[in-house]
Amino acid sequence: MKNTDFVDRLSLAEMCENRCGTVAQIEGDSRFISRIVSIGLTPGSDFTLLKNDKRSPVLVFCRDTVIAINHKECSQIFVKVES
Amino acid sequence: MSEIKTIALLGQPNSGKSTLFNNLTGLHQRVGNWPGKTVEQAEGEFVFDGTTYKVIDLPGSYGLSANSEEEVVTRDYIQSGKADLVCILVDASQLERSLYMLADFVGIRMPVMLVLNMMDVAEAAGKKIDAAAIEKRLGVPVLGFSAAETARYPEFFKKMVAAIKTPVCLDSKSLREELLGEKTNGEDVISRIEAALGDFEYGVCEKIWIAEKLLEKDKLVCGIVNEMLPFARKNAIDAILNSEEGRDGGILTGEAKYRWVSKVVRESATPKSIEKVFSKWDRIATHHIKGKLFAFGIMVVSLIACMILAFPGMGIGFGMQPVLQSLVERAGNALGVWPVVISFINLVLVGGTCITICMTSFIFAIIFVFRILEEIGYMARFSYAFDNWLSRLGLQGKAIMPLFSGIGCTAGAVCGTRVLDTRGQRLLALVLLWAIPCGSKVAVVLFLASTFFGSATPLFGIGYVALIFASFYLSSRLFGKKLVPQNERVGMIMELPPYHKPHWKMIAAMVGRSTWGIFKKALKMILMVAALFWALSYAGDGNVENTLLYKIGNAIEPVTMFFGMRWELFISYLGGMFSKEASLGIMSTLFNHTGEAFSLVTRVAASDNLGEVLAKTISKPEALAFLFASMFNVPCVLAMGTTYREVGTIKWLATIMGYYIALSLGLAFIGYHIGLLIF
Repeated sequence: MKNTDFVDRLSLAEMCENRCGTVAQIEGDSRFISRIVSIGLTPGSDFTLLKNDKRSPVLVFCRDTVIAINHKECSQIFVKVES
Repeated sequence: MSEIKTIALLGQPNSGKSTLFNNLTGLHQRVGNWPGKTVEQAEGEFVFDGTTYKVIDLPGSYGLSANSEEEVVTRDYIQSGKADLVCILVDASQLERSLYMLADFVGIRMPVMLVLNMMDVAEAAGKKIDAAAIEKRLGVPVLGFSAAETARYPEFFKKMVAAIKTPVCLDSKSLREELLGEKTNGEDVISRIEAALGDFEYGVCEKIWIAEKLLEKDKLVCGIVNEMLPFARKNAIDAILNSEEGRDGGILTGEAKYRWVSKVVRESATPKSIEKVFSKWDRIATHHIKGKLFAFGIMVVSLIACMILAFPGMGIGFGMQPVLQSLVERAGNALGVWPVVISFINLVLVGGTCITICMTSFIFAIIFVFRILEEIGYMARFSYAFDNWLSRLGLQGKAIMPLFSGIGCTAGAVCGTRVLDTRGQRLLALVLLWAIPCGSKVAVVLFLASTFFGSATPLFGIGYVALIFASFYLSSRLFGKKLVPQNERVGMIMELPPYHKPHWKMIAAMVGRSTWGIFKKALKMILMVAALFWALSYAGDGNVENTLLYKIGNAIEPVTMFFGMRWELFISYLGGMFSKEASLGIMSTLFNHTGEAFSLVTRVAASDNLGEVLAKTISKPEALAFLFASMFNVPCVLAMGTTYREVGTIKWLATIMGYYIALSLGLAFIGYHIGLLIF
């Protein structure tokens, strides 16, 4: 896998609730990319993580929309968290 | 005859497309399937200023990639160039995200008009949008609109007529600049692909659009290019796509499209606040425990609402039957009409129509309540709350809606499985769905249980629910691995739309139209089945031994007794495959005879009602067998017909049918033999 050079790579699934962040990278097949891009997440998009409790899909607020993404899919989305 | 213009409506889910479609076309619409597809096609007409406009409601999708059947249908239609105007709807309250559809449309040479829908919602959220500024920037007609407000339609018509009179396409220049990014020397992937494509042309699609879709690894476009391009140029394109830059093509084009969108809306729209979007309510609705409790509450309330809504129709259906039947009998006798004609009119025409009215009134109630839940935006939260549970069965949250609506009507719920993303998930959901009893099945099972077991009925209710969940487990073990392999399980990616106020008048009109359509179809089918059973069970001389049914029944009885069902019960079980009510109707015909046309099989007075007759005639073990068989019997003929349309192959329909017949007869066998030991 490429990009293993930065170790502190954080996926959306690991991020804490009520924090803001920016999408850094999205991995996966073209079908997944097309689904996630068309619903509004692209590298560089700013978002707020509304909910992440492991028992239900992750909720993010991005481009004026609340989007629910399954945990497994979230582990393919890498983020930069605002400090 | 005036000329006909065609308008295609294109938009993402929740963009208000169906509201616009319904308000434009009113009663003049047809709903069917796209030729050869399992995707619904809605088409309608309206007349404005002497011109007839044909409106095509394209299936809702987030973009124009070819990932699902809906998207393929949408794209095929647009590329066919049949439309005089493509009307793209976007949700003004989520402008940036929903304009992605417009960005994906850039590069298709078709006349366009952009409708910024739900301006009222956007304004209420404190968003200011300058439609005129967006129009100036894009160069195509742009209208700020609110499809639910009928008073605003004159503005729509004015804009639409102008857009058709002077058709304008979107200019791809500005998006191309975004795609090229900082590279201006022609070394970027887009220019290289365009160069390799050379003079390649494909209908209304510009080269830039083809290049984008190639980068996104769009299966259909890749296929076409592969087929039509000479070998050397094809190889050149493959090399570009496989290069470092080409590999992440989907991201590259996605980023460029959103950059383009934000330049379009910059200065013409202000963003809205997060508190407005994710309210206190949503915190509850999406909580992993409270959300589910809340959802269960909503389910119970909706089912009660359904009962109340269905009650008048049911009352009319049931109340009409005896009145009409005695009327027909008296009139017939007075006029000296043959008894066979009276029998046919009463049992087939009157009986069939009344049953159809009862059935449709329940379907009407279900559609109505679901439409409201969908309209106010709760349905998405509902899916969200159950994603976790359903993913254990190999499904995802979106499946909750069709599964839950199965309690109302299996046939309706079968169509609802289309919301799922993959064919495997759709098939698995169908398999599970068949185990969920529809309103009629519940009524039949409860009627039988209370007839035979009286006060123990609640126990049967609880046992039934437990058996359904057990069957889910069994079905997902048997079918899940094959249909939805572990590595192909796609999870939920879904938008939670903001809450809306329901537009009652519009919902009522839409539900009324679809109920009427269902009623007509159901009436035809039920009359046919009723006629068939009438013919099988009619004996002119009043001797049941002369009916076809008696002869068939007696011949198969040795086999059916193996499952604990005497022939009358087995025929009723088969009748249940036509409709759940039919299984009761056939029992009344076989056990309880109202007219001289039917002789008495059971030697019980004809005036007795069905429940009493059954309780006197059938032993407890037999009753148990029949009850189990009825619980897991296949759904009605309407539901099987819809399932066939969804799965597309006889093989799959037969597999699911075989599974449920085996399951129900197996349970009947077990029930019968346990019953023999107990009673």
